[in-house]
Amino acid sequence: MRSLVRPPSHRRRFLIGLACALFFGIGVGLALLIAARTAERHQLAAREAVVTLSALSELLDRVEAPPPAAEGGLGDELSALGETGEPEAPAAEPAPPQEEEGGMGLGDELAALEGGAETAQPEPGEAVRRAVARFATEHPELRSIRVVTFEGIRLEASTDPADTDARAAPRRLEREEKDVYDLGQRLRAAVEENRETKADGGAPVSEEISIRELPDGGFSVAGPVERGGAVAGMVQIRVAPNPVVKPPAPAWLPALLAWLAPVAVLVLLGLVLGERRTLLAAAALVLLAAGLFGFSRWALGVQEAERRDTARQLAAHVNAQQKTTGHLLAELGLGGASPLHPERWDVDVYRVPRELVTAKGTLDEGRLGEQIRLDAGRLTRSVAVLAVLALALLAFVGFGAAAAVGRNLVYYRVAYAYTLPGILAMILLSFFPFFYGIVLSFTNANIYNSNKSITDIWVGLDNFISILSDFSIARSTPDGLVFNYQNFYWTLGFNVVWTIANVAIGVTLGLILALMLNTRGLAFRPIYRVLLILPWAVPTYITALIFKGMFHQQFGVINQIRQIVGLDPVAWFNGPLTSFAAVLTTNGYLSFSFMMVVSLGALQSIPSDLYEAAKVDGASRWQQFRAITLPSLRPALVPAIILSVIWTFNQFNVIFLVSAGEPAGATEILITQGYRMAFEQYRYGYAAAYSMVIFVILLAYGIFQNRATRATEAIGE
Amino acid sequence: MNRKRSGELPHWPLHLFLLLMVVITLYPLSWVLTIAFSGGQSLAISNLQPGAGLSERLRAITPWPEHFSASNFQSLFADQPFARWLLNSAVVAAATTFLGVFLASTAAYAFSRFRFPGRRAGLMSFLVSQMFPGVLMMIPLYIIIVQWLGLGSSYIGLVLVYTVTAIPFCVWMMKGYFDTIPRELEESALIDGASQAMIFFRIVLPLAKPAVAVTALFSFMTAWNEFIQAATFMNKEEMYTAPVGLRFFVGGYSQQWGYFAAGSIVAAIPIMILFMFLQKYLVSGLTAGAVKG
Repeated sequence: MRSLVRPPSHRRRFLIGLACALFFGIGVGLALLIAARTAERHQLAAREAVVTLSALSELLDRVEAPPPAAEGGLGDELSALGETGEPEAPAAEPAPPQEEEGGMGLGDELAALEGGAETAQPEPGEAVRRAVARFATEHPELRSIRVVTFEGIRLEASTDPADTDARAAPRRLEREEKDVYDLGQRLRAAVEENRETKADGGAPVSEEISIRELPDGGFSVAGPVERGGAVAGMVQIRVAPNPVVKPPAPAWLPALLAWLAPVAVLVLLGLVLGERRTLLAAAALVLLAAGLFGFSRWALGVQEAERRDTARQLAAHVNAQQKTTGHLLAELGLGGASPLHPERWDVDVYRVPRELVTAKGTLDEGRLGEQIRLDAGRLTRSVAVLAVLALALLAFVGFGAAAAVGRNLVYYRVAYAYTLPGILAMILLSFFPFFYGIVLSFTNANIYNSNKSITDIWVGLDNFISILSDFSIARSTPDGLVFNYQNFYWTLGFNVVWTIANVAIGVTLGLILALMLNTRGLAFRPIYRVLLILPWAVPTYITALIFKGMFHQQFGVINQIRQIVGLDPVAWFNGPLTSFAAVLTTNGYLSFSFMMVVSLGALQSIPSDLYEAAKVDGASRWQQFRAITLPSLRPALVPAIILSVIWTFNQFNVIFLVSAGEPAGATEILITQGYRMAFEQYRYGYAAAYSMVIFVILLAYGIFQNRATRATEAIGE
Repeated sequence: MNRKRSGELPHWPLHLFLLLMVVITLYPLSWVLTIAFSGGQSLAISNLQPGAGLSERLRAITPWPEHFSASNFQSLFADQPFARWLLNSAVVAAATTFLGVFLASTAAYAFSRFRFPGRRAGLMSFLVSQMFPGVLMMIPLYIIIVQWLGLGSSYIGLVLVYTVTAIPFCVWMMKGYFDTIPRELEESALIDGASQAMIFFRIVLPLAKPAVAVTALFSFMTAWNEFIQAATFMNKEEMYTAPVGLRFFVGGYSQQWGYFAAGSIVAAIPIMILFMFLQKYLVSGLTAGAVKG
């Protein structure tokens, strides 16, 4: 079927469509591939650092002095502390320098050995320091090694250039080094927590190894040191940047071929098919599939080669470490009968071995193949997603929709140019974050993992289920009901009561004041009006904070007033009801002015002849109020009430600044609760899900309100 | 309440109630003034003993300092970094206003003057974005701006956050005003050979000066008074805005009420005066927007 419309050529459109779709699919695929390879290299660097640290830990283990009270425990489970820095070359090279430095250091070491290790009694810390010093000379890529003991908060050993002379180890940690100590305590907490979850049959949840990238590209890695089953200290090493991090050069040629070949084929086919649209579409579809398939095969190959390469490098690194550590053991006279455990050196942040390297220090090919298959599955899935998008692009261009959009863009270019900056800002900083927030609500993102890929932290509907399915609002105890203030439904219930109470107070007070101020001939009216608007003019946070001060139990003026009347002072924020009274008073103070201004404006716009006519007809005051005043107020009052319901529902400042949820979260509203989850507990994913629930509630209210308003308007007419 | 028969009802009950409300309104504010000028940091002006008499107790609840002193104001600027915080607030609020009004006025002009595919959707999208709850937006924004872009504790980060909050309101306010400017002016200018840009900058914007001014002042006020986002995005003490700094004086275990009160006066009085002039526009703008929404 030959198209009769000449200008839009189907052939050209499908050609452009195919080129765009392939370019998109292959381009994004290539970018993902490069990113994956870079990440792989980066991870290799981190893993090598962890291996180094594990080797050091095992060495320190052997140093451990026999008496359990001694400080030995450093080595035990100190896994992943190591830094990445160790490149292949340095790992292989140490041999010559080792002789040299070993020669120099050996004398000292031996001297020390005679004094220390042989007798093994005097100071176990001494042996640790010697082992650390020797380990450091064997590893030029290590910038520093620090060993911290919790008992006595001591820096047990350090090769950091800053820790010399007066600051030389062993010494007590200084105040500025609190973060080091805190890091150690965090690791200890993680080990204990993971041990508990493991006892319950769960997977580890907290990271027992801290891997931090340094600004120069090196790593700082820290891990716990255990002794007698308890974490007794921490080892931290800093590694210089590792050359393996450099991403391999991307291969453009196959990708270029996968892009251009199908396009060339379509050009040739076009000569045969002419303008037959269906056939062109089918041909383009097949070619798109072929191009993407070819590309993904090639990408899979590249990925696999990369995986094998890094695995081999890692195994080589483990071997090198095994050798060096073995030497050191012999040299320090610690050459225990038991062999080293290199299979436990390559661990993840939970100190679970990755099992890629066997006990003999060789590569486990079966395990590697398994990982490669896993990779391939992941890659295939992303290519499938890309293919769907590319297909959409092909259809969009090929069937002429793109041309139509393009024509519109050109025709209305002035209008679009004017709106573009504003819309762009909204898309980037409002709509994108909104959708990103939705995505986050399906993850367990927190402050530590929020830069991981979404698929790694995806938990599906778990957050929503745990928020919405928890009905344990209250349980009965001998003392009566005990409420669970952290429960979602408690907070929601409180939020609703809070909103209704506040809006009722605000509207009533505002309306009464407006009606009073609207009295004809009232003296000082403008003065009253200005003074009564003040609460609205004062920034909310100032009012909230001064009310918090006024409700202070000891110095607050409200308790002092109570005492004058003969009442006892109240600890306002210790009970849910008194706390509620305090926040309600604050918000009542803040909200009546707005309602008063809105009502007053509406009242003043009522023509006075309406009342005169009503009077002539003999209507009473109450009848006039109901028949004239109230209906005239409605158009202004209804939107104001809708607004103030939403404002009050989300009145963050008053709750956050006055009661801060006290007691124990009883007076928390949804939005402050969500804020605490996000910015005090750092549970971003959970808080995002919580916020989504709030959003849905507000949306439902908005729709309901809209319907209700329309219905009443219809009746009114 | 019926004005027709004024004189029939006595006014004194109304005055009584209104006076009571005025006293309630002014009482907390007068405490701010009292504490600010008391020269001390305490929340109470006198330390009551358990057996204090009635006159002492009455004195304790009277918001009037025992002696006036401006020392709180002096040391607020001399010993505390309050001047820096005010500067931060001013920079952020001014940049927000400029950026917000610029982005909003161009968009509002297009929405008011041109009919183009996507116009309705665009206008609605501004309204819809107003419905995203603040906290829901803060989590992704925090990750994007602080963790991805590294703009925590910087002017740019906070300005970006405030600007998106300000744009929708500004667009709707200004579109309403542009709608009231007759098109004939622009059409004749077009015939005289003026370019689109010239028409917008030379004719429409000058005509819309009142709307631009009101919109700008509102954006400024909102940014100046905002607390929670500033508290979240500005972690470094020297980057606090005035509201965050004032909270810092009395938050946690800190009880420097004198600094808080003095700082509140400095930060709030100018903005309150501005507000008094502008509130009638705010009411009409808000309620009009709500009716449309």
